[in-house]
Amino acid sequence: MNRRTTIKSLLAFGFLGASGFSIFKWVDINKTPDTKLLLSKKDLIADLAETIIPATDTPGAKDAKVEDYIIKIMLKCTDVRNQNLFIDGLADVDHYSNKHFGKPFQSCKPADKVGVLKHFEAKSHSFNSLVAKVEGRYLGDPFFTQLKNLTVTGYCTSQTGATKGLVYDYIPGMYNGCMPLVPHQKSWATK
Amino acid sequence: MDINIKTTSQNTYDAIVIGSGISGGWAAMELCKKGLKVLLLERGRDVEHVKDYPTALLNPWDFEYRLQHTQKELEGNPVQTQASDAGSQLFFANDKDHPYIQEKPFNWFRGYQVGGRSLTWGRQCYRWSDLDFEANLKDGNAVDWPIRYKDLAPWYDYVESFIGVSGTKQNLSHLPDGNFLPGMELNCIETHLAQSMKKSYNDRLLMIARVANLSRGWDNRGPCQYRNLCNRGCPFGGYFSSNSSTIPAAIATGNLTLRPFSIVSELIYDDKIRKATGVRVIDTNTREHLEFHSKIIFVNASTIPTTSILMNSKSNRFPNGLGNDSGELGHNLMDHHSSAGAVGSHDGFKNSYYKGRRPCGFLIPRFKNIKPDEKNDFLRGYNIQGTGERQGFNELAGTPGFGADFKDKITTPGPWTIWMAGWGECLPYYTNQISFDEQQKDKWGLPVVKIDFSFRENEDKMMKNIQDSSLEMLQKAGFSASKFNYNKPGGSTVHEMGTARMGRDPKTSVLNGNNQIHAVKNVFVTDGSSMTSSACQNPSLTYMALTARACNYAFELLKKGEL
Repeated sequence: MNRRTTIKSLLAFGFLGASGFSIFKWVDINKTPDTKLLLSKKDLIADLAETIIPATDTPGAKDAKVEDYIIKIMLKCTDVRNQNLFIDGLADVDHYSNKHFGKPFQSCKPADKVGVLKHFEAKSHSFNSLVAKVEGRYLGDPFFTQLKNLTVTGYCTSQTGATKGLVYDYIPGMYNGCMPLVPHQKSWATK
Repeated sequence: MDINIKTTSQNTYDAIVIGSGISGGWAAMELCKKGLKVLLLERGRDVEHVKDYPTALLNPWDFEYRLQHTQKELEGNPVQTQASDAGSQLFFANDKDHPYIQEKPFNWFRGYQVGGRSLTWGRQCYRWSDLDFEANLKDGNAVDWPIRYKDLAPWYDYVESFIGVSGTKQNLSHLPDGNFLPGMELNCIETHLAQSMKKSYNDRLLMIARVANLSRGWDNRGPCQYRNLCNRGCPFGGYFSSNSSTIPAAIATGNLTLRPFSIVSELIYDDKIRKATGVRVIDTNTREHLEFHSKIIFVNASTIPTTSILMNSKSNRFPNGLGNDSGELGHNLMDHHSSAGAVGSHDGFKNSYYKGRRPCGFLIPRFKNIKPDEKNDFLRGYNIQGTGERQGFNELAGTPGFGADFKDKITTPGPWTIWMAGWGECLPYYTNQISFDEQQKDKWGLPVVKIDFSFRENEDKMMKNIQDSSLEMLQKAGFSASKFNYNKPGGSTVHEMGTARMGRDPKTSVLNGNNQIHAVKNVFVTDGSSMTSSACQNPSLTYMALTARACNYAFELLKKGEL
């Protein structure tokens, strides 16, 4: 619970220098989240989610309205630090795609969208590898980790995702503990 | 104070039962069936079977936040939200209205409604044996149990036959077989582990859990529909609860008066006749203070509230709480630990899957400290409970990448895994205790409870042993496995026990071998508070058996005019 100890342990891992992490981040991630910005980025969120779970032979994230889910969870079920990391991350997305591909994310070609997400995934891994294990609960989860988890959960727990992307067995009525997989077997939507 | 005492006759019953949870429901049913007029008091609201299970048939997407808690709920109710999701939260008391003081971290999960926690219990049903009843005597901890397995065995039979327990017979003397409905099936990976253990060990086995889920129809209930949504209340009556079973049976006798919204503040003791004559009740709707009278009283409010009621029942004869001549009332609080274990994943069985959501896992019965000559660095034992499954989207969400391949991976069954943890015995320590705060009162003006509980060296050593043995069993079966210890605080297993223990000697215990208060013979306590030790079995079946036995005894004494 002691912030000083936390920072000390981060120093011990040589993490501070490596990521450019600074004490200002502490203040930063505890600021009042810019929820207006979040709401204004709904289409961007939808596009990001669709890049993670695209429509294929089954519906994708947009079909399942994952963006509505993400915004709802972000507003009501997410702590301040994670809200800030997510909202700041959204702003970073267009910043990065403008810099490297000359246009905002939503205007990018599919291949460039993939390039943008690869960058953010790599960034989240370096954030994750040490901090998540050491003191993730103090720092929150990086933007891309949140985006991906929210997209997966939002999709798989939606009616569209659960019933079309997965198999939903509302009232099984029986239990068979061991049976052969059928071809193209999808996972059960609920446990 | 607003005291409204109606005419004595109007408020007089043969028996009063305090609490409608798993043991109170049994007491009410048994006494009603014997022809007694019973008043069943419940502090919370009524929950009628089926009708009052509003979330039972909802889909994940029907919930505003897909079963997640909001930040506001997490912050306002940090304990309640740990035990529940948006589907089951309605059956857990909220922290705000029901404060308690944690002198050390202690999760106290409460179900303040008709049916209590029988709506949300884990449904595991395991008999105790003399290995458990003799343990205190043999290793010199606490006091000897005043009963043995033979005293309880017929009542285990009786209870199992009524509630319906699915399971398999294993012929183990330390985990006696019972009257079972067909056991549920192990899945592919669990069967693999069971077979591997058979080859690797001669001292242990893996079996399907014994649970009060109905593998076939029973007593006009069930069968289980394999939805695994038990803790929302089951509209199919697929598992036993007071609501689905004992309370309707009690109502059917015509002898039951069920009174929800009735908090019992204390028992009334009459010094002249040396008996309790009734209870004082606060009606939480009208805020009226009422009195009810009866010949016998069963206190089944669940461990901590039962002892709180006794502690709050002060008289000249019992200045330190009703029946507390020994000074043991409030002491020897126990809870099982279930934090330590191992998880593993297996590369095989890629072409197999399962259908249905089984409402239970497997059990590896206790295998440590069974024989007298075993050398372990801890006393008593543990059983291992676990479950096998194929990973789904929750576990696979962290898979690297995105796009069509990623989507395919997270929507296709992942590797088989097994999670298992030890449910371990906790010794009865005098200093693990509850008491009243001197100042703080709750919204009803009743003293707020302080809980001072910790696991100690014996439990810590046992947890290490659980981790090592779990890891070894998984590794021998070809799993890539690792140990864990969640280090959850006391109360997390929701098996609070002790604080009004049974015993042979009134100087060192609160209750006798028939769950009667030693010095107040017409008061019976048959919930978890009566436990003298904790064993490692899930305890509810034993509470039910103790209750049925005590009801029979109380009725015999009443008939003879001895109460």
